[in-house]
Amino acid sequence: MIGPLLERAMRRAEAADAALKSDETLTLVFEAGRLKSTAFSQERGLNLRVSAEGRLGFAGTTSDDVDALLEAALASARVGDAVDLLLPAPAPLPSVTTWYPRAAAATLENLRDLGRELVDRLTRDGCQVAVTVERSIGSVAVANTRGVAASYDVSVLTIAAEVTRVAGDDVLMVADYWASADFPDDTVTGALAQSILKRLDWAAQPAGPPHGALPVLFTPQGAHAILLPLRQACHGKAVLQGISPLAGRQGEQMFDSALTIADDPFLEAAPGSRPIDDEAVPTRRLSLVQQGVVGEFIYDLETACRAGVPATGHARRSTFGKPQAAYSNLAIAAGADGWDDLLQRIPDGLLVDELIGVGQGNVIGGAFSHPVALAYRVISGEVVGRVKDAAVAGNAYELLGRLGGLGRDVERRGSLLLPPILLEGVAVAPR
Amino acid sequence: MKNRLRDALRATRADYTEIRLERSWTTSVSYRGRRLEGATASTDSGGFVRCLNHGCGWGMASFTALEQLPAMVARAHELSLAVRLDEPIRLADVTPRETDTALPLGRDVRGIPLETKQRHLAALNALMLDRDRRIVDTQASYHDEVCEYWFANSEGTLLYEVRPEVTLSAVAMARDDGTIERALESLGRRAGWDAVEGREEQFLAAADRAVSLLAAPRVRGGTYPVVLDPKLAGVFVHEAFGHLSEADFVYENPQARAMMTLGRRFGHSELVIGDDGSAAGLRGTLPFDDEGTPTRNTILVQNGVLVGRLHSRETAARMGEAPTGNARALSYRHPPIVRMTNTYIANGRGTRDDLLRDIPLGVYACDAMGGQTYLEDFSFTAGHAYMIRDGRIAELVKDVVIAGNLFQTLDRIDRIGGDFQWNELGGGCGKGGQSPLPVTEGSPHIRISEALVGGTLA
Repeated sequence: MIGPLLERAMRRAEAADAALKSDETLTLVFEAGRLKSTAFSQERGLNLRVSAEGRLGFAGTTSDDVDALLEAALASARVGDAVDLLLPAPAPLPSVTTWYPRAAAATLENLRDLGRELVDRLTRDGCQVAVTVERSIGSVAVANTRGVAASYDVSVLTIAAEVTRVAGDDVLMVADYWASADFPDDTVTGALAQSILKRLDWAAQPAGPPHGALPVLFTPQGAHAILLPLRQACHGKAVLQGISPLAGRQGEQMFDSALTIADDPFLEAAPGSRPIDDEAVPTRRLSLVQQGVVGEFIYDLETACRAGVPATGHARRSTFGKPQAAYSNLAIAAGADGWDDLLQRIPDGLLVDELIGVGQGNVIGGAFSHPVALAYRVISGEVVGRVKDAAVAGNAYELLGRLGGLGRDVERRGSLLLPPILLEGVAVAPR
Repeated sequence: MKNRLRDALRATRADYTEIRLERSWTTSVSYRGRRLEGATASTDSGGFVRCLNHGCGWGMASFTALEQLPAMVARAHELSLAVRLDEPIRLADVTPRETDTALPLGRDVRGIPLETKQRHLAALNALMLDRDRRIVDTQASYHDEVCEYWFANSEGTLLYEVRPEVTLSAVAMARDDGTIERALESLGRRAGWDAVEGREEQFLAAADRAVSLLAAPRVRGGTYPVVLDPKLAGVFVHEAFGHLSEADFVYENPQARAMMTLGRRFGHSELVIGDDGSAAGLRGTLPFDDEGTPTRNTILVQNGVLVGRLHSRETAARMGEAPTGNARALSYRHPPIVRMTNTYIANGRGTRDDLLRDIPLGVYACDAMGGQTYLEDFSFTAGHAYMIRDGRIAELVKDVVIAGNLFQTLDRIDRIGGDFQWNELGGGCGKGGQSPLPVTEGSPHIRISEALVGGTLA
């Protein structure tokens, strides 16, 4: 389908590239502890870009009508922006496994058993358990008019669980998930249940909020909020537009020397791993922050072309719209500190799992102010109970400039690899 | 299409079967700074089947290959049979009907050339860029969609609708030395091309606000009396109250049900909250929801007392209440779940100045940058805000994040103005992986006697 489309495109345009993605997904939803619905979905989408008279045009479709798709892309190019885009030539691809037979062959019964096992492990009096088990298998094909034609198969298996406990007007919701390209081994549901039950235990008692500039330990789940400004700031487009605080500071020591952040498309069985990006650029490992020094940024072809830098193999394209750079698997390197060591460094402070309102407002600026969704008071290195009525505030860039500690126990959630991070001097206020 | 639907339903072996088919035409134009990011036109089509058998679970199938419809009905039936339930799923009764509805298309966006749309947005975007040298970046986007929609179920309902939608959004980013500020404006309507014409003021307002925020001090964090403008009050009622009134949160959870017992007092006697999927021309408006239930105006809080909630057929049957037409799906890729439509706080009395008058020190928070709830805890970010000093609007302040507990905050609404308006924002609502679902909110100015405002935390 993609080959004939590009042949036709060549007669009408100087260059073209396309991505064809298809997938079949089976989703099992357990509500209130029982399997409630089972859904199958099939989707195939084709996204085309053409360069005609020096202008770029884009179009996408879920139908088989490639002629209409080409016409739509040409119409888009007629009003499109002029860009001197050079599509990548064929190149050797790195070797990475994206499809695992055990995940692909899993039956409805296998998936149901996974869900039931997790529900059983999580069931407790007064708690509602919701579990979703999902398995996707599909393929990605990318090709361009310079002769690249690559394809690979993918499998992804996701298990997500949420436990809700309502007592009076007090609502506690604890969630976690696991995602991989492979079928889970025997330890996965146990570890997932353990992760949730541990939080339920921490939250068993209410605790009053502390007040002041305090040490705050972010769990790997909670660390996402602290990392978000950096993620946005290392995006090539933000750099190009002049709104990234990291722009022009490559090679500078901006952060604590314990901080190393990389994007790794070769991480074993991670859902974000792949050999080639959606614009036919081979993927590669990228160092965003190396021992606190600002490193590389992620780019798609067009943004790279405008910025005058090489593309980095990070383009993602959906059926509709144009390619955009996105991280594959983002990993913060492990630190040296054990979990107990980190807690012991907190005379009085917070342990934070989840904040409310992450992603709102002027994220890339680094300033944040969020009420806690799930956080616990720590006194003399001991978790004493759940804190509800508190808000934390600070500037992510400044706080990452002087870490109070970095955990050695890195946790992987889907395509994120994060250790616990201890930040000093976070503003904590009662609400 | 109708015949294909009838044939597929005739062949089904499931006790209950419903099918949605969609065919949509979409154009999107976006600018980033001076640069056109893209101007594209696309088509999308696909279907969704849901089957239910007595004592079994839901079986569902979604697909882009429309010729697969009969096979997908069979697949959904099989998947339903694969799940055994002790307590069967029941659906509240909805009168079967056959109806064709075309929502008013205005000037049909499908008749407007792509180039006209691109030029229109280019002009609006240039207004922002040319407004001030400190405007360093902009994002402007235009999006339209016309969706042909078919819904049929094995009870005899067969609906055909044409659903239009247009959205316009403006983000202006201003920079002065190391300070970067952004301001946004948006518009979302179920309408045609006419709705996006004459929107120059909104784009200029975004640019002006981003620039003026540069010099504004951060609000000093603390507890203040807070007056919300209608836009932000609308987002507040959606985020903080609306989601808890969705029956799928409570229907299988006895403790949550106790928390949201009808008859519970939620605020003072003037407080009226509702959700109206039948209001004319708004983003959340539709004649029927995605289970074929007619939409309506559902009162959730009357005179401060909880009197209703939002239902699908399943949640309504389980709770012994009437379905409200709130089962909505983002597209054929998703099952219908309980969602809001156009959610509102109804008018009280008085003007904005009446609400400000006896506040010695407070915050007047306007426009919504975003909002999120964690069940009874919420947080939302104002687009801009002013201090209130001695009953009057004083200096502009920034980084105003308002957080609180739903029950306390509703209880602390002590004044409701008489200047109701729908906010018609262009964003949307996210839930269960289905985002952005078109919704709108409305409210008059409201006053909260005490709320936590984040900023610099003292």
